[in-house]
Amino acid sequence: MSTLLEKHIVELLQDRDEKAISLLYDHYGDTLFGVANKVVRNEELAQDVLQESFVKIWKKADSYDSSKAKLFTWLFRITRNTAIDKLRSVNTKSDKEIQIDVSDVYNLGTESTKPELMDVKDNLNKLEPKYQIVLEALFFEGMTQQEASEELNIPLGTIKSRLKIGLRELKKIYGSTTLTLLIIFLL
Amino acid sequence: MTDKIKKFLESDLLEKYLLGTTSTEETLKVERYIAIHPEVNKTYIELQDNLEIFAKLHAMDTPDGLKNKILDRVKAEKKSHSKFYRYIAVACSLAFLFAAASFFFWNQNKSLKEENTIVNNKMKTIEDNMKQQLEDVRNQFIVLNNPKTKRYNVKGNTKAKELKAVAYINPVKKLSYINVKNIPNLPEDKCLQMWAEVDGKMINIGIIKDISDKDKLLALPYGDNAVGYITIEPKGGNKTPTVENIVANISYAN
Repeated sequence: MSTLLEKHIVELLQDRDEKAISLLYDHYGDTLFGVANKVVRNEELAQDVLQESFVKIWKKADSYDSSKAKLFTWLFRITRNTAIDKLRSVNTKSDKEIQIDVSDVYNLGTESTKPELMDVKDNLNKLEPKYQIVLEALFFEGMTQQEASEELNIPLGTIKSRLKIGLRELKKIYGSTTLTLLIIFLL
Repeated sequence: MTDKIKKFLESDLLEKYLLGTTSTEETLKVERYIAIHPEVNKTYIELQDNLEIFAKLHAMDTPDGLKNKILDRVKAEKKSHSKFYRYIAVACSLAFLFAAASFFFWNQNKSLKEENTIVNNKMKTIEDNMKQQLEDVRNQFIVLNNPKTKRYNVKGNTKAKELKAVAYINPVKKLSYINVKNIPNLPEDKCLQMWAEVDGKMINIGIIKDISDKDKLLALPYGDNAVGYITIEPKGGNKTPTVENIVANISYAN
């Protein structure tokens, strides 16, 4: 899914043109802000994380290799790692206490008012919570499958299967909206 | 699908790689699997797509003004970056200038030292020569003015009848000099060479170059029972005298 837009942004990044950051913000800002917020669970902190992440993206532009990862994967890694570092530095003491709060999963939709994403939010709610929890723990909380298994008190095998089924279900639910989303993000 | 690939996909290495949490070793392994096995590559692409989809589901409106804050920070970063490189460039050129100047002065210092040594050596040589010449002149004066000095007229034998010389020997001061007054015409490839036999050893005194030397007194090594010889030698002089070519001898034994 390497689009013309992605290629254009990558070229600008590698030419040290700050227009790249503006474009990245317009196209991925909301998603990365959501990712940061899911990890740090605090909008103020999430703003700091997003700022730091974009500075890192700007500084590390040379290290992006389109043959190894999609642009979004790279952006996601930087944002997620920045958020995890932030969380550790801000809250080292209660680091151990961070747990998956199931109620968060249901609060997701209320945070965003982006009308074009409303359908998507509805779709997300169609994904059974047990899959959502596992996906979130793995993708956002910085847990390994082993850690998620211990933290959520779910056997490792179940974690693995829920991850696979969850992703498959997501794709199924999502199939119809992929095109819409693509168009939204390309505009 | 082979068991190896199945096992790989069942491990969470690919997921860890997706999130960028693999170790260097693991990264290499995953990248090798992705490159070699199309199934792994396909799964990786799917995972990336799913991650993007999943992440976008959690998108949140960014607050107003955050974009400008970020752009300002990036611009500041860019400026300080270029400023940094400007400082580096200035520092580099300063360091280079300093190095060049250091080399220049070091080089100049070195050549001055060398010149100084040469001048010192020259001065010493001149001083030694002067001392030598002064000593010579002094000795000549002593020899010529001392009443004990004996004067010997030296004439060439049949091989060089035109040869005329005067030897001054002073046994008290142990000094001897010879003054060549006239030299015979010799073939182009011959010359006259002077020798002194002192204590049984033949000492080369030098070549009598031409008649312009006639006013010069040549010092002869002094020795009791010394004998002076003049021989005809090939041009440029000889290491040992050619006995059959002796044209004159000066015996200044007491």
